[in-house]
Amino acid sequence: MSYVDWIFALHLLTAATLVGGFVMSWIVVVALRTANTPDATLSLNRVARVGTVVIVVGLLGTIALGIWTAILRPELHPWHGWAIAAIVLWGIAAAAVLRSFVEYAKPLAKARELIASGLTGPSDELTALNRTSTGLLLRGLASAAIVLIVIDMIYKPGA
Amino acid sequence: MLAAIRPAGQDFPVLLHIVGATIVFGALLASATSLALARGEIRLLRLGYFSLLFVALPGMALMWGAGQWIYHKQGWNKLPSNVKDVDWLTIGFVVGDYGGLFFIAALIVGGIGILRLRNGKSDGGLLKLTMVMALVLAVAYVVAVWAMTGKPTGASAAPAPGPGANAPTTTAVSVAATEFRFTLSKQSVPHGKVVFTLSNKGKIPHDFSIDGKTSTIVSPGKTTTLTVRLGAGKFLYLCTVPGHAQAGMKGTLIVR
Repeated sequence: MSYVDWIFALHLLTAATLVGGFVMSWIVVVALRTANTPDATLSLNRVARVGTVVIVVGLLGTIALGIWTAILRPELHPWHGWAIAAIVLWGIAAAAVLRSFVEYAKPLAKARELIASGLTGPSDELTALNRTSTGLLLRGLASAAIVLIVIDMIYKPGA
Repeated sequence: MLAAIRPAGQDFPVLLHIVGATIVFGALLASATSLALARGEIRLLRLGYFSLLFVALPGMALMWGAGQWIYHKQGWNKLPSNVKDVDWLTIGFVVGDYGGLFFIAALIVGGIGILRLRNGKSDGGLLKLTMVMALVLAVAYVVAVWAMTGKPTGASAAPAPGPGANAPTTTAVSVAATEFRFTLSKQSVPHGKVVFTLSNKGKIPHDFSIDGKTSTIVSPGKTTTLTVRLGAGKFLYLCTVPGHAQAGMKGTLIVR
């Protein structure tokens, strides 16, 4: 494999990591909706932290190696319409998912607060935070953008 | 830049294949992480197992089915019996087929572990084994993604340039593809970097492969480039679309 092939393969590996990270995060988000105690929230957050790292690595690797690939391969250019569309969608996905991390940090903070107060039983407030509609909406928006990027990359409209 | 430009009609199965594969990969990561971080907590043990059962399993079915669809659509099933599948495809099959069996074994082991938990026999050993199996599968999927995208091939048998060879240069070669022959603008080039510009002047998709490097598949009327560094020697070039090389789309390029 040539240097260009390696960069391309790494780009696709980070893309798979990114989408895999989103799948992982959805599993946790769905599980969180049934969590009503501080313990359950904290234990699911341990898994969510790994998902966050996977998503961030995927986001950074995909964009950096993708642009690098487009520069290295003569038949690809970052200013092609489908490439620009992918970069814009990447920006939307990154902004939405990073903002959703803030939303999902709120139940974590609440769970720690409850435990510090000696309350370990079910909490309505914690349940509501775990079922955050803002977080769900942002995660949905980010996921939709990622799905559109995958479609854009495969169909390459205008290429 | 997820995938190369390919003939119309193959995009949708490729999309399904990729979506299925990433669902499996994400679910394996979620499962392995949940089982690894469970510390005996039933909630996380169950999450780890059910990620495999309800997310990874449908993803695997989608990935496998779409993979078979692509395999038949691209005509790999019609290769002559004496022609072996390319390396990257073999890696994909090993991970898809044997990995699938391994995955079912992980589901069975994990299922027994979950049943034992439900019956109050708090033995997390089987679920730890499931976690290890999920991790092994996740690593196998990384290898498969690398193989499918990098499309590694065997090393070239072409000799290296001799000690007295001139300094490498860059040479442009135009390649016109029709049914079923290539016409190259040069039959002999100096060693060094060679940029092949493939123009499909035929009616069906073609690609151009030389020294283990293969261009994207080009639709009729389209053009692509393939840059290869070649040492002195004789190099076989061909179209890797099944049946095309046998029909005449092959030849030898002399590199001085």
